Amino acid sequence: MTTLSTSPNAPGRMQVAIGRLFDFWPLVTVGALVITTLLLLLPVYNIIGLSFSGTEAGKSVFENYAMFFSEPYYYRSLINSFIVSLSATVLALLVGIPAAYFVSRYNIWARSLIKTIVVLTFVSPPFIGSYSWVILLGRSGVLTRFFGEYGIPLPSIYGAPGIIFVFTLQFFPFVFLLVSSGLKSIDQSVEDAARNLGSGEFATFVKVIAPLLLPSITTAGLLVFVAAFTDLGTPLILGEKFRVLPLLIYGEFVNDFGGQPVLASTLSVLLLAVTTGALLLQRWLSARFSHATSAIRPLTMQEPRPAKRLAAAAYVYCLMAVAILPLVNIVISSFLKANGPVLTAQLSLENYRRIAGTISRPLWNTILFTSTATLACAVVGTLIAYIIVRRPGRIGALLDTIVMFSYAVPGIVLGVGLVVTYHHPPFALTGTALILIMAYFIRRLPFSVRSSASSLQQLSRDTEEASVNLGAGPAVTFVKVTVPLLSMAILSGVLLTWSNTIRELSATLILQSGSTATVSIEIFNEVVNGNFGVASALGSVLILLTFLPLLVLFTFMGKNEEALV
Amino acid sequence: MTTSVSIDSVTKRFGDSTAVDNVSFDIAKGEFFTLLGSSGCGKTTLLRMVAGFMRQTSGNIRFDGKIIDDVPPHQRNTGMVFQNYAIFPHLTVFDNVAYGLRARRRGKAEIDREVKRMLELVRLDHLTHRRPRELSGGQQQRVVLARAMVIQPDVLLMDEPLSNLDTEMRIHLRSEIRSLQRQIGITTIYVTHDQEEALLMSDRIAVMSRGRIEQLDVPHKIYAEPKTLFVAGFIGENNLLPGTVIARDADGSSLIELPGGHRVRGMGGVDAAGQPCLVSIRPQDIDLGAPGGARETGIDGTVTDIQFLGGTVKLLVEIGADKPITVSLQGRRGMDMPEAGSPLRLDVPLQAVRTFKPEARA
Repeated sequence: MTTLSTSPNAPGRMQVAIGRLFDFWPLVTVGALVITTLLLLLPVYNIIGLSFSGTEAGKSVFENYAMFFSEPYYYRSLINSFIVSLSATVLALLVGIPAAYFVSRYNIWARSLIKTIVVLTFVSPPFIGSYSWVILLGRSGVLTRFFGEYGIPLPSIYGAPGIIFVFTLQFFPFVFLLVSSGLKSIDQSVEDAARNLGSGEFATFVKVIAPLLLPSITTAGLLVFVAAFTDLGTPLILGEKFRVLPLLIYGEFVNDFGGQPVLASTLSVLLLAVTTGALLLQRWLSARFSHATSAIRPLTMQEPRPAKRLAAAAYVYCLMAVAILPLVNIVISSFLKANGPVLTAQLSLENYRRIAGTISRPLWNTILFTSTATLACAVVGTLIAYIIVRRPGRIGALLDTIVMFSYAVPGIVLGVGLVVTYHHPPFALTGTALILIMAYFIRRLPFSVRSSASSLQQLSRDTEEASVNLGAGPAVTFVKVTVPLLSMAILSGVLLTWSNTIRELSATLILQSGSTATVSIEIFNEVVNGNFGVASALGSVLILLTFLPLLVLFTFMGKNEEALV
Repeated sequence: MTTSVSIDSVTKRFGDSTAVDNVSFDIAKGEFFTLLGSSGCGKTTLLRMVAGFMRQTSGNIRFDGKIIDDVPPHQRNTGMVFQNYAIFPHLTVFDNVAYGLRARRRGKAEIDREVKRMLELVRLDHLTHRRPRELSGGQQQRVVLARAMVIQPDVLLMDEPLSNLDTEMRIHLRSEIRSLQRQIGITTIYVTHDQEEALLMSDRIAVMSRGRIEQLDVPHKIYAEPKTLFVAGFIGENNLLPGTVIARDADGSSLIELPGGHRVRGMGGVDAAGQPCLVSIRPQDIDLGAPGGARETGIDGTVTDIQFLGGTVKLLVEIGADKPITVSLQGRRGMDMPEAGSPLRLDVPLQAVRTFKPEARA
């Protein structure tokens, strides 16, 4: 044993410690903190600050909030938002849970077609669904006139009922997909045991299956709620005199344009408070109800009596028919000759001819912004995932929390925040392409982080350690070992991000200037101007762009539709 | 080139629990040194601290007398072989082996030459351009071995490299590893829970338990002269019996009374007469004697069960203690097979009996 050990002197240790700060991962960590602070925390901080600023001196800092809760015009919108979102949540659950159960458990026909329809509905932009329903059920809608000729009045698509109807159809896939995957994690023996003890199928579902599905059901419910609560496109198209919170934010923002969007900020803070609360509730509930079951032998397919099978199939087919109707309608009407808002029964390519001249700019914008943001998401998301998974600690946990917080920030709120933050020189970015890319990037970052992190967790640390042990530094190891091993996860993350970003509307409405308009904006403008034919042609293009990456994902990468949620 | 390694008062704590508890030892240049213990004993933690993947809470690690605690893992020049191979699945056999040389920015010609030489050495030169998924477990482990040795590391570190292989491959590879190590003369730290592997391969073994080194010695001493009760129970099969020291002789041996009134002579750490102790006796060290007759030592008992295992025969002998004594006999042609129920007298040579303080029981 060597007893003459020279203990390392203090300055040597200090130098080493300082040297470590400039190592690869500490640098990346600092970079990630700076980026998320600039793109997320600062904008949110600024709108909160603005919401407490008074227009006149001497008034309370709560002036704006006091005004909100005293003026019916304002507080009514919050109530309306809750009414439509809660109704849509309940309806989506009522519609979606049986559909998922029937498709997962009964051998009804055309199950893969049903799943395709669910995916199509899920990824199609809500505002396209809305205006498609206007074409069908609006005042001079196709179905309205058709049934009108027989003296059958159809309910109006405008106002609260219409919004709830469209939200339910648009968002029930959340429920369908989450409950389907929840059903897969229940073991057949659980059901067998309940049946063996004397429960009928319905009693078994209510007493045994549904409680095990609670984490999926609560998660789905809250996702539907948040999606409905923050959607701007649908109430903008269908709302008319029925005003919800996002609509008011957009209205106030447009009114204040040029000045300080104080009121829009106040409303944004309220919206943010609701979504943050909902997501915290979701985290708490899924931790509370989690049974951590894993199925060795998942629930099997049943062969019910013919009558039961037919009834289940009929229910699912009806739901799917109504869900896919707006998309089919868009594609068909894009090939119809339009006479302003009225479509004729004549087939023609006129709509496509009309967009051919004008689409190139917005199409190019859309693809450029989406691709840039997607690539940034892939790179930054994978780096952050690595920090969270491989370098746990206080800073990793902080980064994790920040990234998950960006999940709670609605697009419209982020839009207002970015405008408030980057409106003035030297960082006057409003109206530029960069600010849109920033918004898309930070909005999708949590999804990229989550997808890379979950693959990284399954990847043994040994392979990376082997690389370090053989003399490759942390950065080289990340590039030469970690990234290649994660490549499939990163690629599928890229495809999902692309298809989710390309249809963004709410943040884009706030952040775009004429020259940075995207296809979504063009569609929206055409709808507002009543050019339904042109809007349909543009909508068909957008749906195609959204669905193509998913087609690649499902066909070539062996993913299933549950990767979407 | 290869170095000596010193572990100097190394402690590693995780929160409240101590994984490695003030461990010190030196490993000579070119030595095959094994850390042996069951899972959770701290052996892998110690190895990972030598590799630099973790930093010890206190103490120093030295290569050739130089403290390396502040050297990051990728600059330590150790070659590590992992339990689940940690082969790079996206690289060919050649690229896997070349990885460390490329990280060291060696020339292409040198890389080609060295990789080829190493693949020949592990007899994989016919699989140079295969992908890892096309290889068997044993072949993958040989790739990893070549990958770790081609960089001419100062120390070769192996973390249970054979535990994921089937028995036949394990037996084959352990002699291959040993002969490669001798050929190259590289200092090696080998971590395993398999005592047979440790006894067979090592120059020296450190038996670890609960973060401490129980005994550090050459393999046959570890087996024949366990210093602690833990080692006596962990290595090989042993009869452990409670006893009392009756007398101690000038030659250092003591007379011990076992339950049932039997007496044996033994060596070991219990000094004073009248003290309770624990006695360990290896089943194969017990001789069969003729029953009857009064002698100072010897154990009388009755055979309760006979287990015929081919090469060996095990007898369970009831002696009036809590559990029967196991006796292991060489199965030889024409041997007299004892019968269940027949009385036996067991003779135990002095060197076969080791005594321990009972409170030292793990």
